[in-house]
Amino acid sequence: MSETLRTAAVGRIRRGALQVGDAAHAASPTPRARKRGRGRQRLEIALLTSPAIIVFVGLVIFPVVLAAYYGFYKWQGYGPPTDWVGLGNYKIIFTDPAFQQALEHNGLIVVLSLVIQGPLAILLALLLNQKIRGRALIRVLIFVPYVISEVIVGTGFSLMLQVTGAVNDALHSIGLGFLATDWLADPNIALWTLMGIITWKYIGFAVILMLAGLQSIPDELSEAARIDGASYWQVQRHITLPLLGPTIRIWAFLSIIGALQLFDLVYIIWGQYISGTAGTSTMATYMALNGRLAGNYGYGSAVAVVMFLVSLVVALFYQRFVLRRDLRGAVTQGVN
Amino acid sequence: MMKKTPAAAIAALGLGVVLAAAACSSGGGSSNGGNSSSSTSSVTMTFWTNATPGPGLTFFQNAVKSFDTAHPGVTIKMQNVQNEDYDGKLQTALASNSAPDIFFQRGGGKMLAMVNANQVAPLTLTTADQANVSAAALAGETLNGKIYAIPMDQQPEGIYYSKDLFKQAGITSTPTIIPELEADVAKLKAINVAPIAVGAKDAWPAAHWYYNFALRECSQATMNAAGTTLKFTDPCWTKAGDDLAAFLKVNPFQQGFLTTAAQVGAGSSAGLVANHKAGMELMGAWDPGTIASLTPNQKPLPDLGWFPFPAVPGGAGDPSAMMGGIDGYSLSPNAPKEAFQFLEFLVSTPQQKAYATAFITLPVNKAAQSVVTDSVSVSALQALNKAGYTMQFLDTQYGQNVGNALNAAVVNLLAGKGTVAGIVSSATEAAAKG
Repeated sequence: MSETLRTAAVGRIRRGALQVGDAAHAASPTPRARKRGRGRQRLEIALLTSPAIIVFVGLVIFPVVLAAYYGFYKWQGYGPPTDWVGLGNYKIIFTDPAFQQALEHNGLIVVLSLVIQGPLAILLALLLNQKIRGRALIRVLIFVPYVISEVIVGTGFSLMLQVTGAVNDALHSIGLGFLATDWLADPNIALWTLMGIITWKYIGFAVILMLAGLQSIPDELSEAARIDGASYWQVQRHITLPLLGPTIRIWAFLSIIGALQLFDLVYIIWGQYISGTAGTSTMATYMALNGRLAGNYGYGSAVAVVMFLVSLVVALFYQRFVLRRDLRGAVTQGVN
Repeated sequence: MMKKTPAAAIAALGLGVVLAAAACSSGGGSSNGGNSSSSTSSVTMTFWTNATPGPGLTFFQNAVKSFDTAHPGVTIKMQNVQNEDYDGKLQTALASNSAPDIFFQRGGGKMLAMVNANQVAPLTLTTADQANVSAAALAGETLNGKIYAIPMDQQPEGIYYSKDLFKQAGITSTPTIIPELEADVAKLKAINVAPIAVGAKDAWPAAHWYYNFALRECSQATMNAAGTTLKFTDPCWTKAGDDLAAFLKVNPFQQGFLTTAAQVGAGSSAGLVANHKAGMELMGAWDPGTIASLTPNQKPLPDLGWFPFPAVPGGAGDPSAMMGGIDGYSLSPNAPKEAFQFLEFLVSTPQQKAYATAFITLPVNKAAQSVVTDSVSVSALQALNKAGYTMQFLDTQYGQNVGNALNAAVVNLLAGKGTVAGIVSSATEAAAKG
């Protein structure tokens, strides 16, 4: 786009210069005009990108820098920070067993999300890509949980999963009473309960992505394979799955980032305080508890920086090594 | 105070225009002519409260109106900030030098942080003011010998119980020592109700069990010293933890207490008491209001009773000592002198009476305590007036940071995940973060 802009601008000016018809200056206008054109082009670029840049710098970069700055202080949020502790906050973060547990939970959620949701979403997408009765309805039903707000999902599940809640009641009444348990408070079970809810909530999004990916695969390929005698599963394994690769990789990326920053569901179901006790704390709930709730804004900022860096490193590695093929020329390399 | 809002919210549910009218009439009658002469030029002051719409907010609107009328040229601009948003907003305002002149003060560690940042003005009380405000409550608003807030009410803590369930279980008198409480727990279990409800999801209701054991085990001096050193090395802190651990052996709390909220919904600990699913609850003086909002007909629970936290044999603390919360109001350093006059006005007897009625609470002004008439509040008030001394809730007293860590550690102990030693060490670890 920028190339066309430049040509257009220069062309216009050159035409203007020729109309003047002054032979003595005939040679000189071109570079000057080009300079003027370039200036104008820069102005246009600045004008058009500045709103986005201002918003991005003001609302993303500046807060990150500010958090990094506050992270070096012990600061309760009253008055300007004065108690410089250097890397003291970071030392405490990395030696705090509660943070290590939160990090562990995040790691587990990342892995389990990929392992559980990935195959399930592909299978569901394959199923929903078939011409079956009520396909549209099933697609909508699978996508509905993703649309419901986290707060509603969290509140609903926390009511149903109480010891005396609907789930245990239902289990008792169908004769599976021995399965009834304290779904939310038992530290051995709570994380799996959380995984169940996350899967229920986000599988719809994965399925929709996979469906879109499936639909972009030309039918000719599988038809050709089938003519050559490939079975249904062989077609899926050797044609659909490889061609679905870019979609799967993008979905996995979104899932990983989402899992690293998981906050709302845990915060709603387990409240502000007890996620650590129940074994479902995440880095974000740790930050809310030890930063905002405890009034340690300096320490909380340091936790935020750690979270940011963890996400950034994971994202960069993923882009560099996994998404490289899909994003070639877009993100990993500059536009030349 | 987080624990306070629901009380105000309930006040909104239970009462209506009648109370507003009462507050209005008493507010109007109380205007103090003596103060009005001083201000001739016009002064505008800002005033922030966390009162929720309902009788509480109406009380403040009326108080502001009658103060403005009595002081020509003075205009108070009131803003009510939702309780959970309050701290953040105030903090931003304080940091950007746009602090309100008069503002709601939670006290404890929060107040200490404001004092350290010079964001709150020390107050000089006249003898008349001191007569209006109880010395015990004032002590809670004092730091290094200076008073930084005027208290409005006191919210002593004790155990609320259902008289009907106690009768059904064959309990004839309320327990005065822990072994008696343990025996009552067994009797309540026998009639198939949860003996004690606790909202451990909110952490502090569970931690208050530890705090009250500490109140019985530790001397007043030890508890106050911990407020400044934040070191919990005295053996009484561990003894209190051991007491709690021993008490847990009788399984006193309802099933699934870890994910039970304190005040929201019929499944909350207050809701369990309100619906006769649990026999007792340890809670502050706002609890009758909370429980009233959760009964099937949203009326006060008729058989609700109250007794102080039982004594622990051999403890160093005074068996009559009580723990509680105090709501107060502070001034910013730049507040005009009229702002202090407004605080004096708020603790005058007629205003205190209206305040206590609107918020269903115990006023600091003893002359206004006659408006407290329901039997539950009266027994709490009598115990409070007899108490050897009162302590602020420890999570307020020791600041949010250490308070939070204590709360979390006690929940861990209750859930069988933590140890008594963990309670003491967590407080030390938290002190390092802030």
